[in-house]
Amino acid sequence: MKVGVVGVGCSKFGQRDVTIQELAFEAVSEALKDAQLSQEDIEMSVVGCVGTRGYELMPAVVVNEYCGFAGKGPIRVEAACATGSAAVYTAYSSIKAGIADIAIAIGVEKMSEVDTATSAAIGGRAGNYLWEFHFYGTTFPAYYAMHATAHMAKFGTTEKQMALVAVKAHRNAAKNPKAHFQKEITVEDVLKSRMITYPLKLYDCSPIGDGASAAILASEKAVKEHGFDPVWIESVGYSSDTSNMSMRESYVGLKATRMAAEMAYKGAKITEPLNSFDLATVHDCFTIAEIMAYEDLGFCKKGEGGKFIENGESDFGGKIPVNTFGGLKAKGHPLAATGVAMVYEVVKQLREEAGNLQVDLKHYRALTHNVGGTGHFCWVFILGR
Amino acid sequence: MIVESRELRMKHRIPVVKTERFWKGLEEGKVFKTVCKCGKSYYPPRAECVCGATTEWAEVSGEGIVECFTVVHSIPAGYEWSKPYRIVIASFGDVKIMGWSNDELKVGDRVSLYTAKDESGVWKVWFKKV
Ligand SMILES: [Zn+2]
Repeated sequence: MKVGVVGVGCSKFGQRDVTIQELAFEAVSEALKDAQLSQEDIEMSVVGCVGTRGYELMPAVVVNEYCGFAGKGPIRVEAACATGSAAVYTAYSSIKAGIADIAIAIGVEKMSEVDTATSAAIGGRAGNYLWEFHFYGTTFPAYYAMHATAHMAKFGTTEKQMALVAVKAHRNAAKNPKAHFQKEITVEDVLKSRMITYPLKLYDCSPIGDGASAAILASEKAVKEHGFDPVWIESVGYSSDTSNMSMRESYVGLKATRMAAEMAYKGAKITEPLNSFDLATVHDCFTIAEIMAYEDLGFCKKGEGGKFIENGESDFGGKIPVNTFGGLKAKGHPLAATGVAMVYEVVKQLREEAGNLQVDLKHYRALTHNVGGTGHFCWVFILGR
Repeated sequence: MIVESRELRMKHRIPVVKTERFWKGLEEGKVFKTVCKCGKSYYPPRAECVCGATTEWAEVSGEGIVECFTVVHSIPAGYEWSKPYRIVIASFGDVKIMGWSNDELKVGDRVSLYTAKDESGVWKVWFKKV
């Protein structure tokens, strides 16, 4: 039983003066319109929301009610920054299991409702509260900053190479009307920006913001019945790792990514990842994360991620365009919205609807890579037409 | 237009009964891991091994090697009292330990550990450059 994506929607990301349910509906109504479906056609609604920064602590109910899905067997999922992928995966699984023929995955997050210090403390608790935040004040940038110092020491990766990830992200986001940031930046801007957590500076970090995204998934049977023109989910890979950073094998990459990628590649019979996709969207919550993703996803050898960005291999015209929409870094990273928004961006590309950010299609196949926490969760989806 | 929510204050009561030896150890200047007959070692320590056996307490000592570090300049809520702080992970044989350090450290440096209270009164692990 194949599962296809038949409708996608995404709100504008950024600081949004709307409630969580109003924000979700922006993405949901766009997805319903895109699929030419109404609420009655949806059998299962999955709400992805981390929810710890918003005033609604049990957000699925209000979101489902506002979107017209009350009664549609709602379930709320959470997998930190990979919550959106968990939502897509849950909708996909429901269809695979024969529970539903048409399911919607909603990713929604309001992060701007608390102040920055509070947000940093909540993010810092995303590892293992007692053994990390309680004792040592681990913030989210701190977790990735530790990976950065390890990567720099072992492979000579530089702050300038990391800055190039941000420059590319902003250049692409400037052309994406849904992006949080619409302004290009230079390497100099990144290097001179305020130190957040050594060696990560302000422009190495994705912003705190709000956003929602939605994807409607359908079974092969429903695709035939409705005459959809889907983007198929060809393969799914997932994995996870320890909550404690101190229990990890090494800090120069994410084991969860490597395992999820291996599973997804095996499922889609991919042996040469670099020559199999027209584009990839990878988890670049911090610039070092994108560099590690190139390596862990097999786009280059371990340790060569810095050179990969430096040589323009992840840009338009390179070996594999990565984060063409601006990435989490510049389009934004409203936690649960991210994973579903990755599917949104890839579907738009594979349908050749990405406007001035469109890549040339040869394989008609793309990859999404979404990490929750610092490798606490990881999903890799391979989508194709 | 904005509505301010009603205030919700949360402070959790966290049971550390099963790892009490570790918490007491910090006050005695000792850092404990746990080890199991099956060969597994745990840090953070846990009283139960995944194999089902009860683990035994073992003190961590000697020199460790810095694996990674960072300096937090953007201070989170709960640490308002602190100036920028350095978080370090160092390996001590079969376990890796997170701690704070006042010393400038780089990856590969050798460190020893000690315990002390931070300014908020919480006992924790600290590293000193060897
Ligand atoms: Zn055991």
